[in-house]
Amino acid sequence: MKTQFLTTKTYDDHKLWNKLKEGDEKSFSLLFEKYYGDLISYGNSFYRFPERVQDCVQDVFADVWLYRESLQEPNVVKAYLLSSVRKRIARLHERDRVFRKTTTTDSIEFLFDFSIEKELIDDEATAESVFYLNKLLNDLPPRQKEALFLRYNQGLGVEEIAEMLDVNYQSAKNLLHRGLFKLRKEWKGHLSIIALLSSGVFKLI
Amino acid sequence: MQKRNYYIEIEDFLSDESFRTWILSKIDEQGWEEWTLESQQRAKLVEDARLLLLAMKGPYINISSLELNTALESTWAKIEEIKDLKKSTKIKTGRYLKKYWLTGVAATIFFAFLSVGFFKNQLQTNHTVVTYKELVNDNIEGLVEQTNNSNKPQVITLSDGSSVLLEPKSKLSYPKIFTGNERKVYLSGEGFFEITKNSHKPFFVYANEIITKVVGTSFRIKAYPDQPNIEVLVRTGKVRVSSNELVANSDQKNEVVLFPNEAVRFFRCDLSFTKITNIIEDKTLTSNTGKIEQLSFEFTDIPLDQILKTIEQAYLIKIDFPKDKLKDCHLTTSLSDQPLSEKLKIICNSIGHDTSFEMNGNQIIITSQGCY
Repeated sequence: MKTQFLTTKTYDDHKLWNKLKEGDEKSFSLLFEKYYGDLISYGNSFYRFPERVQDCVQDVFADVWLYRESLQEPNVVKAYLLSSVRKRIARLHERDRVFRKTTTTDSIEFLFDFSIEKELIDDEATAESVFYLNKLLNDLPPRQKEALFLRYNQGLGVEEIAEMLDVNYQSAKNLLHRGLFKLRKEWKGHLSIIALLSSGVFKLI
Repeated sequence: MQKRNYYIEIEDFLSDESFRTWILSKIDEQGWEEWTLESQQRAKLVEDARLLLLAMKGPYINISSLELNTALESTWAKIEEIKDLKKSTKIKTGRYLKKYWLTGVAATIFFAFLSVGFFKNQLQTNHTVVTYKELVNDNIEGLVEQTNNSNKPQVITLSDGSSVLLEPKSKLSYPKIFTGNERKVYLSGEGFFEITKNSHKPFFVYANEIITKVVGTSFRIKAYPDQPNIEVLVRTGKVRVSSNELVANSDQKNEVVLFPNEAVRFFRCDLSFTKITNIIEDKTLTSNTGKIEQLSFEFTDIPLDQILKTIEQAYLIKIDFPKDKLKDCHLTTSLSDQPLSEKLKIICNSIGHDTSFEMNGNQIIITSQGCY
């Protein structure tokens, strides 16, 4: 997680993108190495066949290279890549649906669950709160979860999230807000009990 | 820097990168620890945000550098493969290609079988006549339909830049924007197609009982609903014509491959194809070629206004351009194989950097500061 956040500097990406556009293979490789992991894990949260997810991600990069001259420079390179992967997987999913002749019309769904930063928890009270919060988070509807993931794990802006999820700015904002609002409401009830049970909640401070 | 003094919601903290770095990586470059201790209320918010962050670890796979290298290599291999397909030259054994070539072939064959199996299952119905309406209704995506009720051809530019010169009494349905891996349009009547090259997304024209598949070429299709034959005439590139699965049984599936100046006639009554390799001898065919096929787009040191005039005649459009500024411009260029938008792009690029065009139906406007 550490390196992820430290390297998500947009100006860096634009430099890479522009050099890549000029045909610089090294910049392409750097961009690939930087985001391959993120894209794979994002892809895996929609589709249960890791090999085909790898294929999708590689295709996205292949397209970037092949069409580099005609591609418009995205505002946020990472958002562009994530969104391309998402689209490709949606297409795969669509094709599967046709082949299996199933009748569901749902588009792809975000399947993954948030997990817990176990190494960073050193006392029981924190652990209890975190477990409880984690459960609340994972009970949210998939779209809210995805919005939260894109915002707080991938560091995308609301605008990019709106574009990726194909909704307008306000709806994206609502998606994010609704998720956290529900969480906070339920959590407050829970917290007051915890506070009574243990005074160690604010141990950090 | 001190915008955090105004943070009032957990969200504010969560979206602050340096805050996340502090919590998750314990790197405190901006003195969060100290700042937090300054007020009780602040501390409470920070703690809430911290707990939430700890509870929302994303799916993150650790990819070893070996895996990463392999992935990068196979991506280059993919790129090479597509490039080679595009060039349609002999497959070069590139740096990475050697290793992955067989896998690629295997995958292709596998999918080929898969799709054959699928289509066999799907298409047991046995119509003999397919109408334009049926084809269009079958398509679930929203299509735009353009009908030419005038008495001269009309030019249509598709979202991929391809152009279609639609003859009178003809109809074309096409998606506003091509999505997915294929470009599909539906024709009733007659049109001359100039398709933007994209080997990734083959272009299909559905016309009555036949399907014409190309990657990027120009050709004419004549498929009037009230006529007994359908004709496809190729001007440049390579075109595949096959009968629509809606009419063909699996054992009589036909496909004809056409090269420049070849044509095929499809007899709707018995679903058979006749290939015509010498189109000059076939009177009915040559009589129906349009103006555009007779014009040459090979220009050698030709004044610009003459080139633009040729294009105006071919597509029956009006081109507006600054005559004074461009009066001394001459160009040498070959535009035969390009759709209208591509032709204009090439011309503008050859004039100079300050030259651009705008398309508005039948009206084209070129703006320019002159040629160099």
